[in-house]
Amino acid sequence: MAGRRLQIAPLVAGLGVILVGVLVLLDAQDVISLSFAALAPLACAVLGATLLASGLTRSG
Amino acid sequence: MTDDDTTQIQEPQPEPKPQRRMTRPRDDRVIAGVCSGLGRYFNVDPVLFRVAAVALIFFGGAGLILYVAAVLLIPNEGEERPETRRNRDRALAIVGVILLVVAAGSIFSHGVFHVGWLFGPFLFIALVALGVWWLVSGERPQGDAGRIARSIARGIGVLILCFALALGGAWLAGAGGGTAAAIVVIAAGAILAGAALEGYGRWLILPALSLALPVAVVSAANIDLHGGAGDKSYVPASAAQVRDSYHLGAGRLVVDLRDAKLPPGDRPLKIRLGVGEAILLVPDNVCVANKSKVGVGVIDNFNHSNGGVDVDAADQPPAPPGNARIVLDANVGLGRLGIGHYDDGRVFVHKPFGHAGRGDYNFAGQSNTGCEATHGG
Repeated sequence: MAGRRLQIAPLVAGLGVILVGVLVLLDAQDVISLSFAALAPLACAVLGATLLASGLTRSG
Repeated sequence: MTDDDTTQIQEPQPEPKPQRRMTRPRDDRVIAGVCSGLGRYFNVDPVLFRVAAVALIFFGGAGLILYVAAVLLIPNEGEERPETRRNRDRALAIVGVILLVVAAGSIFSHGVFHVGWLFGPFLFIALVALGVWWLVSGERPQGDAGRIARSIARGIGVLILCFALALGGAWLAGAGGGTAAAIVVIAAGAILAGAALEGYGRWLILPALSLALPVAVVSAANIDLHGGAGDKSYVPASAAQVRDSYHLGAGRLVVDLRDAKLPPGDRPLKIRLGVGEAILLVPDNVCVANKSKVGVGVIDNFNHSNGGVDVDAADQPPAPPGNARIVLDANVGLGRLGIGHYDDGRVFVHKPFGHAGRGDYNFAGQSNTGCEATHGG
């Protein structure tokens, strides 16, 4: 059986998407008020971390 | 060891490689052999160059000019000219091409050739699809025409999937299913992370982000798509006809209270618009207390304008005795909220594309005259 190799970029993106989903859920439940001031840096962080992980994986 | 021996062991000098030149083959040409020559030179199927040339001909006529230029610049096979003559011809050809491009630009920009706009989007989509497939699969766009066409088709498939996910997620979040949309996003993230642990999932990144980010944008903008779509205009003729709230999903919502003859005192009014433009018109003697929010867009509160993201307005001026005061609670997800008053002679004619981006109602120069003088701005 071939060994499974963890892929970092999808893992980072998946965790970022989960974080976004949790924030949207909290906003829908009126626990927090999601604003663009918070969303914009979060989206940049998720995309940046995914690209960084993808680049590091390739160069490695 | 003698001199003769030394001479004998000298290694033979490698023959200089013949310089690779681009020529127009005589045996494999459709018109003048330009695409065939390019294909041989770059070792790519010439069909690709032929398709690109035809597309560029319809894309403003550039393909025709470039083809003529290539015929001038690339010699026929077996007719390579001496270096000095070749340089002179090349310089003349470049000057000719520049003149042709300038002439074509002035001709085609005046509407002689309009087919380009049909082909431009196709070319653009094909390039984007190639890039998307490269991003998703890691396969560089190379090889023969069939392989590149397959890459384009797969890229278009991924684009359609991402577009459908973005639209579906945004609609679900905007139609009141914020909780359901959030759960779907969390599930998508979990699937992506699980796939990563199993050793695959790279191609899932783009679809998952296409779902998550629009849902988050709709939530952050508080876009509410309830209330339908289109242009709605409410002109109540009396105070009794004024509703407590007005809703529209997407479009233009105009609430014109100039004929409502509002009695003195506070009158709460709620306006909810998902995407578009909401306009509140009041008579000169009605004060507006404004506590509103626009997710992305602009609030024009009489002559005060504020735009950007997360735009809030909190203006609570008092009204003098005898005047009515609208206590406005407005929320626009994406678009514009405008508050002002026009007398009948100054109402703007509805011209959807006749005004540069700020709608037809321009409230610059107006003031909240129904409020006390110190808050008239």
